[in-house]
Amino acid sequence: MPTIVDIAVNTEGFSTLVAAVQAAGLVEALQSPGPFTVFAPNDAAFAKLPPGTVQTLVQNPPQLGRILKFHVVSGKYTKDELIKLGTVDSLEGASIPIHSPFDDEAFEVKNATVLAADIEADNGIIHVLDTVMLMG
Amino acid sequence: MPTLTQPQTLIPPSTHPHADVIHRLEAGGSMLPDTPENLMQIIGIYKAYAVPMDFYWRDLLYIAERVFLNPVPAFKYFLPQEYLDLPNHYAGDTADLRIWRGEATAHPELLEFMEKGELKRKLPKLFHHLWHDRVNMEFAEACMRAMLWHQDMGGRFNDYLYTEEYKAACDRAIRAYFKGNPAMLGLHKLFPEMFYEKCRELSYYSNLGLFWEVMAPVFFEMSDIYDEGGFAGVPAAMDFLVNGIFAVAGRPIYHHVYVGDECFELIPKSCGFTWLYEAALPYVEAVFYRTAPFRGTKSYNAQAGQVPQDQNDFHYGILYADVFPVGSAGIPPTLLMQDMLHFLPPYLLEYYQQHCRGEDDMLIQLGITFQRSMYNVTSAVIQALRAALLYPLDDQNPRHLMANRQFFEAQMDRFVRPEARLRDVQRQEYR
Repeated sequence: MPTIVDIAVNTEGFSTLVAAVQAAGLVEALQSPGPFTVFAPNDAAFAKLPPGTVQTLVQNPPQLGRILKFHVVSGKYTKDELIKLGTVDSLEGASIPIHSPFDDEAFEVKNATVLAADIEADNGIIHVLDTVMLMG
Repeated sequence: MPTLTQPQTLIPPSTHPHADVIHRLEAGGSMLPDTPENLMQIIGIYKAYAVPMDFYWRDLLYIAERVFLNPVPAFKYFLPQEYLDLPNHYAGDTADLRIWRGEATAHPELLEFMEKGELKRKLPKLFHHLWHDRVNMEFAEACMRAMLWHQDMGGRFNDYLYTEEYKAACDRAIRAYFKGNPAMLGLHKLFPEMFYEKCRELSYYSNLGLFWEVMAPVFFEMSDIYDEGGFAGVPAAMDFLVNGIFAVAGRPIYHHVYVGDECFELIPKSCGFTWLYEAALPYVEAVFYRTAPFRGTKSYNAQAGQVPQDQNDFHYGILYADVFPVGSAGIPPTLLMQDMLHFLPPYLLEYYQQHCRGEDDMLIQLGITFQRSMYNVTSAVIQALRAALLYPLDDQNPRHLMANRQFFEAQMDRFVRPEARLRDVQRQEYR
């Protein structure tokens, strides 16, 4: 089965995320056995950020790495498991609140909507987000 | 950031005491009403603030990086040419991110003032200094001290200052700095925490310097845009700030010390500290909201109960300030108002002359203008946090809108106390 990085590289709509992971030097870490749960913002999510935001982060790998680590959780958690937990600790250190879906509403993680959940990888699982999450 | 004007109808109106302001924030506005007079005032004062700020950030970094542990730092406000020429990371041709125009080196108005001062005479630097005809760095240091004193305001910066890693880095720098000085090295051995604590203070110098390094070109740019007729109103000026906050959010916050040619990284960039989390948000909290009562105005006697028991409840920042005592000795904002007075744009000078007592109470008038402008900056921070942590203003999901509403209401709760000036800045005649 492909790794988390392989899936991101080979799926359309994640070029910004892939470039960011490369710039932050996190490729190797995300190819390790893990397992990890990755909340993966798509290109549209990054495009929503005001001009300059991504550029400044890409220029500063440790700072970029911190934002990206906020999107990664140690352990493999499916959508149902996440909902049951209610909150998970990111590798950045800050916690990520998980919202129980209301009625037939979408599955939401912090202030992001999960566009596609439970994408299985060899070393974890991916949930695709429509928004880049920020700590706080 | 889009500016919205359409009224909210998906959720019921707020019943908060500041509901009018909350509804304005929900419509993409600022806490400051959108009037041409407010726009003129806040932009004018941003410009007057940016010039001394260009000195503040340079000198803060100079003190943090070079003056360091000098036991008699008598000349710490005498900025060497090297720091006047220090290229701003966010202005000029060498900028990391070129979204604001302006030069990388010290602003020409600042250089002219440093040379001739208020006296408009070219006298020796020492004379200008002792006559106090200079940029009041004491104000910048008061802001730094507010950040140091309140400390734990989110972010990871303060925690790092107590790690073994930080102490070890300080130790290396201290030993290098006092090399060949057995008295100071002996003192360090006897009281190791003393110099560490001084280093922590210096790290806050660096933190604030790196924060203001960004704000100076932002404010200059806003002034230029206004002069070109570029801002449609107060919300546009606020949105400009919101975009700026995002653009540099990831800027590293660090503390490097130079002893001779050697660089000691007390806080390396690799710590991952960011402008938004470790500088901007703690700064706003410490300086705009909290600070501390001016010396001699409140008793810290516990029985007197004049200051809050909980440090989180301190409310002596510009958003709560009674600007009337400006001009009194020992009040840091007096120093800032005096600094800004030197660089007011002509339209603001003319405006003050037409109101109240004209030139006689100009420091107070510009203090109120500054208060208005900081309500706008705080609005930008609130909107930026809303955008970063919550939902767009035009979101169609009522649950999301309610989350935004609760956030805005929680922010406005801080302005319910009677000292808050939020109600005052709604009125144009508050001067």
